Amino acid sequence: MIETLFGLPVGFDAAIRLLIVVGVMTVVVMALIYLERKVLARFQQRLGPTRTGPMGLLQSVADALKLIAKEDVRPKNADAWVFELAPFLVFVPTFLGFVAVPFAIAWNVRELELGLLYVLAVSSVNIVGWVMAGWGSDNRYAILGALRAVAQSISYELPLVLAMISVAMVANSLNLVEIVRGQASVPNIVWQPLPALLFFICLLAEMNRPPFDAPVGESEVVGGPYVEYSGIRWSMFFLGEYASMFIMSLLGAAVFLGGGAWPLGEELGVPWQIALTVVKAGAIIFLMFWTRASFPRLRVDQMMSFSWKILLPASIAQILVNGAILVYQLPSGLEHTLLAVFSAAGVVSVYSAINRSVATPRPRPLVLAQRSEAVR
Amino acid sequence: MKGILRSMATTLSTFARKPVTREYPETHRELPERDRAFPVLLWDAEVTEPFCTGCHACERACPVECMTVLMKDNPAHKSVGGESSRRKIIDKFWIDYGRCMRCNICVEVCNFGAISMNNTWSGHEQSAYDRAELVQDLPMLLAASRSGELKPWVNE
Repeated sequence: MIETLFGLPVGFDAAIRLLIVVGVMTVVVMALIYLERKVLARFQQRLGPTRTGPMGLLQSVADALKLIAKEDVRPKNADAWVFELAPFLVFVPTFLGFVAVPFAIAWNVRELELGLLYVLAVSSVNIVGWVMAGWGSDNRYAILGALRAVAQSISYELPLVLAMISVAMVANSLNLVEIVRGQASVPNIVWQPLPALLFFICLLAEMNRPPFDAPVGESEVVGGPYVEYSGIRWSMFFLGEYASMFIMSLLGAAVFLGGGAWPLGEELGVPWQIALTVVKAGAIIFLMFWTRASFPRLRVDQMMSFSWKILLPASIAQILVNGAILVYQLPSGLEHTLLAVFSAAGVVSVYSAINRSVATPRPRPLVLAQRSEAVR
Repeated sequence: MKGILRSMATTLSTFARKPVTREYPETHRELPERDRAFPVLLWDAEVTEPFCTGCHACERACPVECMTVLMKDNPAHKSVGGESSRRKIIDKFWIDYGRCMRCNICVEVCNFGAISMNNTWSGHEQSAYDRAELVQDLPMLLAASRSGELKPWVNE
């Protein structure tokens, strides 16, 4: 018998939980959009929205109203079904991830034994929606952006999953609640800093956040898959984007930063745990805004080689090292120290590899080099 | 500290700084000294009448012909029992701010120090829904001086 929230039949219970999820997420997304504009503005010494409501607090509401009232245009040559369904396929899988994410211990929609795997699997389904948007729009920029998104998503999915696997090896579980419980004294980021770094980088790429926003870069593909979208459908893409930002940050907070368990322990009560989780997720989100303000967009080839040549080997090496350490069943203190030392060494080497590749000028593609030679 | 971390430190230091934005309609930036907006007429507070005698000097000098001046006999002159020493005084005065190009020539030619360039923000902000609203009559032209909002160096 499944335990229900208010003692109602399962069907009603599910409907209520869904309504809570959708309601909370919509508010969270609007808050995130407002916060992103404010924080990014401060990074550029601006003020951000100030006109709508006190301190511009109602800006997102105004934007949402405007988007809802806007005409929903479908291009004449668009593939009707594919075009109309694409936003849902971006938006629904993101919300599915919400089922397993723990806000506080045992305070998620459902506690899944394979919660970590489930969230990762579900969060990568939305790429189908991106392809559909690109294909259905019958627009070259859209299909170009969609194909970039697919390439990027596939290449960054691997290091993301492998990084998560190495954490799961240390935490000895794929159940998100168990992983959070295991961090009551020390969060996983201490033992596994390299997977945390990889997770964060891949997160940016998965969500097409700057500096990995080549699929939706306005200056390159004029918005990529959502060139042709307007009004409510366009806003659904945005809703999906920011919702996945929130969910993945919650996941990061749960897996690496100890969720509601660290540093105050489990017996603190649900409200404090939720507050802790949200604060930690907020820290990750702030880091995302910060990176957005700091780094220029990667070129497509740079983006691909970054994933395949740096992130993937690093994540595989982390798994091998973890396996080699864990297989001997050393005393816990020594084991964890070894894990932390090796992972920190991994962070240093990845960081220096990134810095070296940034410092070395890349040779231009042969065609371009020949062309400029001919001009000279 | 180098490379990526340094770039993040740079953006963070910007984040810590105060935004440079001025919220324009509420906050004005300080006007520079010797700023000049549109011309206004000055008010002689001692004898409570305008300095302007309606001599048409500014009207004739105005390159864009934005002024219209009418003169009358001063009803408050000493000869008729008043206390003013101005025999003639301004009757009606219009300046079309839509035409004025703020060249300052009217101020240069005035023999009585009766006209001057508004040196406040309200002198700059003249947006209106209709061109006709930009034409200022005598009370409007005198208002800035009568209320004392002009900065004191206005007729130096």
